[in-house]
Amino acid sequence: METLEKMTPKICLGGITKEYIAPRTGQRTLAIADVSLDVFQGEFLCIVGPSGCGKSTILNMIAGLARPSRGELVMDGKPIRDPGAERGVVFQDYALFPWKTVRENIEFGPRYRTAGPLSASERDRIVRHYIDLVSLTGAENKYPHELSGGMRQRCAFARALANEPEVLLMDEPFAALDAQTRLILQEELLRIWGEELPRAARKTVVFITHGIDEAVYLADRVAVMSNNPGHIKTIMTVDLPRPRRESLRATAEFQKLADAIWQLIRHEAYEATIDRH
Amino acid sequence: MAAQQDNGLTVQPARTAAQPGAATPGWPTSADQRIWTALGAVFIYLRSMAVFLVIWHLGSRWVGNAILLPSPIDSAEALVELFADGEIFDNVTASLSRLGVSFGLAIVLGVSLGFAMGMNRTIYAMVDPMVELLRPISGIAWIPLGMFILGVGEALPTAIMFYGAFFPIVINTVVGVQAVNPGLVQAARVLGVSQRAIVRHVIWPAALPNILVGARLGAGAGWMAMVAAELIGAPSGLGFAIEWYRELLMTPKVLAFVFIIGLLGYLLDRLLRGLQRRLTPWAQAGGGLT
Repeated sequence: METLEKMTPKICLGGITKEYIAPRTGQRTLAIADVSLDVFQGEFLCIVGPSGCGKSTILNMIAGLARPSRGELVMDGKPIRDPGAERGVVFQDYALFPWKTVRENIEFGPRYRTAGPLSASERDRIVRHYIDLVSLTGAENKYPHELSGGMRQRCAFARALANEPEVLLMDEPFAALDAQTRLILQEELLRIWGEELPRAARKTVVFITHGIDEAVYLADRVAVMSNNPGHIKTIMTVDLPRPRRESLRATAEFQKLADAIWQLIRHEAYEATIDRH
Repeated sequence: MAAQQDNGLTVQPARTAAQPGAATPGWPTSADQRIWTALGAVFIYLRSMAVFLVIWHLGSRWVGNAILLPSPIDSAEALVELFADGEIFDNVTASLSRLGVSFGLAIVLGVSLGFAMGMNRTIYAMVDPMVELLRPISGIAWIPLGMFILGVGEALPTAIMFYGAFFPIVINTVVGVQAVNPGLVQAARVLGVSQRAIVRHVIWPAALPNILVGARLGAGAGWMAMVAAELIGAPSGLGFAIEWYRELLMTPKVLAFVFIIGLLGYLLDRLLRGLQRRLTPWAQAGGGLT
């Protein structure tokens, strides 16, 4: 972990501020203020925070779907302005194309992207590889409405991976799933991400969640965000050994880390809950 | 009283619980059930038709004038005659070929304009007021003016039908394009796909269910308007035939042609509905996923 800080970051957010201006009243709302964050090659970074703290806004800006009002947003030394195939996104609601089968959804990127689309045979190989990887074998020709929530999740994940991005951005990908499926998919995610591989061979992941347990279980580092306006409170390093297994959740270190994060955001979580009622 | 009620309550669930187990061996298979359901539907259909025909027959007896209201039997005979001497086919062919030309044109131009309006705010702002102004005017209202400009011939009914079909297609295409889930467009954008590919592979299929609804509405409206135009503005076709036999006071044949118009309109809608199911199976099955 010490070596991390000396590397040049893969993605660099410098003093990012996002302001929304209401179209009719002209009223300005500060969504996030002065967020600075470095994401390193091969690292699994989780961003946690209470709802409405601007987690998804940050992810959308890295994806190139939104632009910061102020601040610097750089990947590999080049500013991020638009979406690109090198940054894959898994959306919370999966956003699968309902008129395409599992196979066609997964091959969408490799087939239609502007930067180096693949031939039919190459696509076939890649699609088969990722279908196997996410255990969707046998469901290739089903349509999204025929799949369970967990299978849709896997399909969305495979669609992002099959485009072979350098960075994978995940926006609360397990939020809509039941608790058991979520636990299984978390372990799957770490396996597919390549816990066993050396860091240089892993993909860089930015993972948004409001589950503290989920963040500690998955991440190398956890960025804890706070409300009004959204900003990063602390970045915690999770020094738990990999590969991680289910049993890790019961250990004292795990509990200690999770509790430390909870203490950081509980005050605001309570406030947000009480305000709303 | 209380004891009796208790008895009743405890005995009943036991009875219902025992029933399915006892009845299972005799339960009909799903294939049997499907046949019976189909037969039942046919029976209900025939029953409604029978009631309608009886009322019609009694009505014609009561009127007592075969020119004002012929009996269903006379009308059926007229229909058979029209088929036997092949006269009906000429008129059906004339009407259907006009339908083909005008509906094809309405689809091509309506979908193109609808896409342009749905994708581009400026075009929408420019064209929408005109569409909204013309849309409530029935195609039939243009027939007199159309006779001035186009005369009696192929052009008038074709143009009137095009007019009737065009607006539902345009409006539903606009709705379809504007209602595309922006999340799907974003999903395609983050995969590094070009704007052209997004239009072709995301917006087009996402809008297709609405476009097909517009096509069905347009076909129905156009069919009605075209028959009206043929009444006075064409030398052939189903509407022309109705007017022809009316002048000859051959009411059974008038009704036979009316029946054919209804039948063809119905078949056209069934055809388009089948197309809907073929082209957009996801839209029929998963309502929540669009």
